Amino acid sequence: MTAGTRRRAAAPPGRPRRPSRPRATRGTARETLLLMLPALVPVLVFSVGPLLYGIYLAFTDARSGRNAETSFVGLANFGDLLADGDFWSSFRIGMVWAISVTVLQFAASLGLALLLNENLRLRGFARVLALVPWAMPPVVIGLMWRLVYHPDAGVLNDMLLGLGLIGDGVDWLNDFSVALPAVIVVGVWTGMPQTTVVLLAGLQSVPRELYEAGHVDGAGTWRRFWNITLPQLRPVVVTITSLDFVWNINQFGLVYVLTQGGPGGRTRLPMLFAYEEAFRYGFFGYAATLGVAIVIVVLAVLGVYLWRQMREAD
Amino acid sequence: MRTRTALAAAAAAVAVLTAGCSSGGNAGGGQDTGRDSGPVKLRFLSLAWQKESIAANKEIVAAWNTANPDIQVEYVQGSWDNVNDQLVTSFEAGDPPDVIHEDSPALAGFASRGYLLDLAGKLPAELKNDIPQQAWDTVTFGDGKGGQGVYGVPFLQESQVIIGNKKLLDAAKVRVPTPDDPWTWDEFAQISKKLTKGGAFGTAWPLKAPVNKVLTQALNFGGTFFQTDGTKTTVKVGPAEREVLSRIHDQLYKDRSADPSALGMGTADPLPGFYAGKYALLPTGVYLRQQVVEQAPEGFEWVTIPPLKGTTAEQGAISQTLSVAADSEHPEQATSFISYFLNSANQVKLAKGDWLLPTSVKAAADPAMTTKENGWDVATASAKNLVVAPYLKVNGYDEWKSKVATPTLQSYFANKISLDQAAKTLVEEGNQVLERYNK
Repeated sequence: MTAGTRRRAAAPPGRPRRPSRPRATRGTARETLLLMLPALVPVLVFSVGPLLYGIYLAFTDARSGRNAETSFVGLANFGDLLADGDFWSSFRIGMVWAISVTVLQFAASLGLALLLNENLRLRGFARVLALVPWAMPPVVIGLMWRLVYHPDAGVLNDMLLGLGLIGDGVDWLNDFSVALPAVIVVGVWTGMPQTTVVLLAGLQSVPRELYEAGHVDGAGTWRRFWNITLPQLRPVVVTITSLDFVWNINQFGLVYVLTQGGPGGRTRLPMLFAYEEAFRYGFFGYAATLGVAIVIVVLAVLGVYLWRQMREAD
Repeated sequence: MRTRTALAAAAAAVAVLTAGCSSGGNAGGGQDTGRDSGPVKLRFLSLAWQKESIAANKEIVAAWNTANPDIQVEYVQGSWDNVNDQLVTSFEAGDPPDVIHEDSPALAGFASRGYLLDLAGKLPAELKNDIPQQAWDTVTFGDGKGGQGVYGVPFLQESQVIIGNKKLLDAAKVRVPTPDDPWTWDEFAQISKKLTKGGAFGTAWPLKAPVNKVLTQALNFGGTFFQTDGTKTTVKVGPAEREVLSRIHDQLYKDRSADPSALGMGTADPLPGFYAGKYALLPTGVYLRQQVVEQAPEGFEWVTIPPLKGTTAEQGAISQTLSVAADSEHPEQATSFISYFLNSANQVKLAKGDWLLPTSVKAAADPAMTTKENGWDVATASAKNLVVAPYLKVNGYDEWKSKVATPTLQSYFANKISLDQAAKTLVEEGNQVLERYNK
């Protein structure tokens, strides 16, 4: 009774409560929950559960081994991480990789999308061709490019030697200085289809009248691109570059197949570093910490980027 | 009412789902029910990769399966490239292969984490006595709880020899050494200089993966690279450790008797240049003889030169091993399969297939292992130089090797850093790595 009075007292004044309403809402809520359950259970079991477990591991000293005892260590892993030179060099490589791949991908895809948006002959065929890399699994792409880069039997060295551009075969994936650029090229190639398709869709939604108006006002091609196309594309560009950035910094399969992080750790992206820590050396807790740290970094970078973009858009 | 029934049904569905998941977790246990109804099934993860070796492995497995209808062994092909990751995952999941082919350096870590079965006292005396103590020492490790155990059966060992171009050696009138009277490092340096002429180099050091190669030969001068004080292991790079490092470096940059362009090569990569006479001597593992036999051009004559001698000719022994997983359902059957697989007759087949040295004393006395043909006599004799390498017992060696030693030695041999700098990095960064394992 007291609970009832209190609730009634808390109700906003001047708005009489209808007694039948709460029961109906409660009924609907239960049904909603029930209907959501089939979708919710897999999400909880396969996404939220492992995520929480991973975050928990980050605060423990979990190690591989049947006789390993796991204990809670608080922030010790994060302290180790900040003092770990290998982590920082891996992090730096990861940033160089993610930013350069994203930027180059965007530039190349924009060019390709503009081209495919023109009224060219065989446009349909060209559009299908541009999608081919998308249909290939990263492992297959990695194996294919390993053959391209092969020092003795690779197409690339053959071609460059044939043209007389290099005197000696370059071991692209094992050379300390060219390994990372070589891998970045593959990364750009792999991610271009998604970016191109999204940008192409964006281009097609730009109203034609704007271009006609621009034409009438005497704006040249460059001017129309700069003042009509780009501003109209902005939401699409922001979306796809942020998504690309997240995908790229979390890239694993491609680089694992290409170099396994070598030579001497020159292509050891953060995810490869975490993988090595966990499955090669058996430090599960530390590897989980790395995962959490990367999530924080990605969220921070994206937060700043999106916030700035939104503010400029307003 | 209807909603309540639906809720109950959903709850039941969830219960079934979770039950399904948890029973999936110990799928290994499911085999128990099959024990009465059919033969015991074992999985054997083999890492054989040379054609002859795979054939020999499969042949022995087939012979076992015919002779033992109650214990059927399934041959599972693995690869050296990713076997460690694969095993860690399957050990953690609780469903590892029963019989595991590995090498002794990897066993140290697995043993201390309790993944492998201690075979001490479980092997037949015949097998135990056929393999010398030196080889057993390579598989004896701490169990991570203060005890010691034998965590595998060693069966193939590798030693570092030199393969020489016979025509070039004869032309230079160089003494071809015997196992009893090997070249010393000084002699090797002089001879390499003598053989360096007319655009050809005396020797080539393919050092893309330099660590094991350098560390095993460093024992020639007593260089151990690690010291253990109680339970704490640290890296040391003193005068003994520096000998081999600086001698190789001198050949490259002082004597200029070693081809610097071979430095970035993997073990087998210099072979085309070797056949072409670009270098007269090729320091390498005994197994490379197989490729020389198969690929060398018609009329190419070569000799196997015994291991070099510093103050001793000792080298660090790395054994290939067979182990039983601690989680195996049928450890006894797995152990008896290993005992059969590694008897002396089978070891001869395996050693021939992989061009490595058998640990079995009887197998090493087999005529196939002592013939002069293809340098088998020299290779087999080099087994007497193998001793237990201290670094193979170091917990965390793998991480030290890949994170610190490989890049440091690569830079040193590429002449980008000095020996003092290299030594400093190996010790300081190395101790940081080992710190985590000393806890």
